[in-house]
Amino acid sequence: MRRREASRGGAGDDELSASRIYHEAIKALATAAIGHGALAAPDGRALVDNPLCGDRVEMEVNLSGGRIAALAHQVKGCLLCRAAASVIGKHAAGADPGDIERISMGVSQMLEKQAPPPAGWQELDAFVPVHGHRSRYRCVELPFQALLAALRAAGEPR
Amino acid sequence: MKRALYEQLQAATAAGASAAVVTRLADGAQSLFDGERWEGGLELAGEQRAAVHRMLVANRSGMLAGAENLFVRSYARPPRLIVVGAAHISQFLAPMAALAGFEVIVIDPRRAFASAERFPGVTLIDAWPDQAFERLKLDATSAVVTLTHDPKIDDPALIAALGSPAFYVGALGSTRTHAKRAARLTEAGLGDKVGRIHAPVGLDLGGRAPREIAVSILAEVIQVRYRGEAA
Repeated sequence: MRRREASRGGAGDDELSASRIYHEAIKALATAAIGHGALAAPDGRALVDNPLCGDRVEMEVNLSGGRIAALAHQVKGCLLCRAAASVIGKHAAGADPGDIERISMGVSQMLEKQAPPPAGWQELDAFVPVHGHRSRYRCVELPFQALLAALRAAGEPR
Repeated sequence: MKRALYEQLQAATAAGASAAVVTRLADGAQSLFDGERWEGGLELAGEQRAAVHRMLVANRSGMLAGAENLFVRSYARPPRLIVVGAAHISQFLAPMAALAGFEVIVIDPRRAFASAERFPGVTLIDAWPDQAFERLKLDATSAVVTLTHDPKIDDPALIAALGSPAFYVGALGSTRTHAKRAARLTEAGLGDKVGRIHAPVGLDLGGRAPREIAVSILAEVIQVRYRGEAA
């Protein structure tokens, strides 16, 4: 059956911006899926989603002395979301909730205000080009929100 | 009917699955087909098996065409139409398909779209399609159509559907969109199955409005159900 899809903006523009956001470093991070999996007995767990695009991040953490001893995530989402979760998987161990709060704020500032990426988590540089693509900010932020929610859950009495 | 075969048929139908029993009238030898596997002592040729499969999909019983004395009894559940994507087209397709006798299930992880307000009276599942399919257990009387326009959601649905006995798999998108999709699915190791996807989806009725596209999809699903893929 012959039918043309309604185009949302020029197809060429879409492809151009897609190639800027989805560059090799993002693809490599998403494919690496560092930290993907589940913990046997998590201290805290959270599932957050973006109701507009369907991305879902399930994050589990174990704490030791108030710091992240282990974490695992399962992401159903776009490349940006999976890549951001992978960065968390690489760097979050050893951090305390305050560190994660700071990094998470830093990520939002980088996306919204073009602030320099938060120090110490080098791979976050890969997300600098997402600035200006407002609809995609949440894709990057979602895994951080999941981690913060999991940390809050871990802090609650069970 | 042998007890073992009867128990298998009972188990299949109790689990909500579809099955067909083939009996050779000359001696009463029987086999059972559940859409994927054959059980029982009656051996059928490949062509005959395919014909029984088509009868099960269409929930038809009777003598097997071209065979001397083989009787087919289909125990098929009502056909299911699984719509991936709570899109505009789906808002028309879901009620139309329900009226046409399908059990309709709409799947979309985007909760903003998969809302009861937009789909009154429709079974909605706000999960990722591959996870939803694990619960739904796609069978020989299931049809799957993807309508999200987002490969992130459509692709895993198509991968799961192509690995299932679903009788129809369709995907919305232009020829150009489908060429890209076919390349992605081939890369994912489904090269031999990509040809099963009906794309562009639906019979060519000429209409372009969402409600007209819904009619063309429903018409194609019904056509494949009764005429098979060769139609």
